[in-house]
Amino acid sequence: MGTNLRIIVVTSPSGGDGSLELRLQSKGYQVVTLDNPPSVMGLIYSDPPDVVLIDLATPDQTLLGIIHSLKDDFFFSTIPVIGMIPEWAAEGFDWEEYPLDDFVTTPLSYRDLFTRIVLSLRRLRRVFDNNPLTRLPGNTSIQRAIEHAVGKPMGVCYVDINHFKQYNDVYGFAHGDEVIRMVARIIANAVKEAGEGFAGHIGGDDFVFIVPLEQAEAVSERIIANFTAVVSELFNEEEKARGFYVAHDRKGNEERVPLMGVAISIVPMDSPKIGHYAKVAEVAAELKKMAKKSHRSCYVMDRRK
Amino acid sequence: MGSKRDKILDIIRDTNSLPTLPGVVSRLQALAENRKSSIEEMARLVSSDQILSARVLRLVNSPSYGFYRVSTISNALILLGVNVIKSLALSSSIFEIMEKTIVGLWEHSLGAGVAANIIARHLKLPEVEEISTAALLHDIGKVIIKEKCAEDYERICNMVERDGIPMLEAERQVLQTNHAEVGEWLVHNWYLPNKLSEPVACHHDVANAQHHKMKTAVVHLADVLVKASGFGFSGEVYVPRIQPTAWEWLGMAEDDLAAIVEELEDRLVEVKNFSLEIQSADGN
Repeated sequence: MGTNLRIIVVTSPSGGDGSLELRLQSKGYQVVTLDNPPSVMGLIYSDPPDVVLIDLATPDQTLLGIIHSLKDDFFFSTIPVIGMIPEWAAEGFDWEEYPLDDFVTTPLSYRDLFTRIVLSLRRLRRVFDNNPLTRLPGNTSIQRAIEHAVGKPMGVCYVDINHFKQYNDVYGFAHGDEVIRMVARIIANAVKEAGEGFAGHIGGDDFVFIVPLEQAEAVSERIIANFTAVVSELFNEEEKARGFYVAHDRKGNEERVPLMGVAISIVPMDSPKIGHYAKVAEVAAELKKMAKKSHRSCYVMDRRK
Repeated sequence: MGSKRDKILDIIRDTNSLPTLPGVVSRLQALAENRKSSIEEMARLVSSDQILSARVLRLVNSPSYGFYRVSTISNALILLGVNVIKSLALSSSIFEIMEKTIVGLWEHSLGAGVAANIIARHLKLPEVEEISTAALLHDIGKVIIKEKCAEDYERICNMVERDGIPMLEAERQVLQTNHAEVGEWLVHNWYLPNKLSEPVACHHDVANAQHHKMKTAVVHLADVLVKASGFGFSGEVYVPRIQPTAWEWLGMAEDDLAAIVEELEDRLVEVKNFSLEIQSADGN
């Protein structure tokens, strides 16, 4: 644990005595101490660390500026910032003004500090990657899960919703969001009920789930059946009886849009052609074209050798 | 005036759970303990109990999930997932236990759900499950009154028996409202969709239904038929008439009614067995 993780320690020019650096290095972290606060952001931008530890014994505008620069930038806001605060100041600390991820009190308890570093990393990985709409893990976690599955008897399954865009256009994004949440829930429940597995939300109407290969078809069937059942909540009796609803394209022409379905592409991870992550998405894209030929819900598994 | 009504509204705002039969709870817990229980088994059990059904629908329609109008038990269970239902079942303290005296009302609700299912299928209506659920829930207002205003409920029952007046009339005199309206308040407060709340609200006044006329008419007819069959006990002594509006909307002939009643009689025998099973489980 901790190897290769980089920690930037920001201290005032008077600095510490170097014992903090030693203790962190003993845990396998690479430590860079910066005692010239105005130069900190430049260094962080050019070489982002995994964690920032910031000494707030005498908080000033420069230190505050560092925290805000990190937290206001969506790319850098994922870096945990842990404040070191004198014990007497912690209770009355202005958390509103200092958007920290966590704090430790000084004098330091190193055991506490090490735990908080690990916890911050875990928490941010969890929280920042999750899709805000569905709260499913997002792309960083998805990529990690797929890389983990490569070469194993697992199925990586891509799900997308047929005719979602038209539904969103006709019924409005609030109802579109509801559909996305429903699909997320259906996938997550089906994966959980199958035993072990992973469910993630790529974005929009694209999802991924990963289950043991021998269960991939059964889980896909379950998702399709459950989505088909739940779709009945979204359309009125007339639309359900007809099997379509009417939309208007940009030229004002009427278009008959079929009720939504899901298309699932199953990519077996133990196939010799799946050597790495990028190949998975490539195979899935080919399968998706096949799955999308049908307007109804269906799944397609790659059986080509 | 109106203070009783306001009081009941306040009660509904504070009501998070309603009692259900201990037999139902212990069955649900047994299903929850079994790792292999499926969503279908759980849906079957949940759909037999008006309180459990209302709870599950309330949960799935609550703002935190972001779904706006889930109206069937099976879809609620699909979206919540087996694990949520299991943890619901295992936290048994959330269930208040219903007294034996309410078995009659429980049976009446279950019977109405079954009758509505038969009617809807016979007339080939869409959304059979929604209709059955609405019928299952139609008297949920009585559960509120009985459990939360027990003395008033007793007075109402006495008036019905002693004075031979309809229950609605007695309720209006004692509470300045009636169980249909109380039921509607509850299902609204619990975020249940219109498809379910309108039939609950209008099952004694079918002509008032605006959006779900067929569903309301079926629930009304189911209520009357179950009362006529003598199955369960709704609190009402007399069997009300089938309202002409319902008859007209459903477009039924005498033959249809005969066929429906025949099928209902058969099904109610099964339902009675199920009910006895549930009640015998209470002893454990």
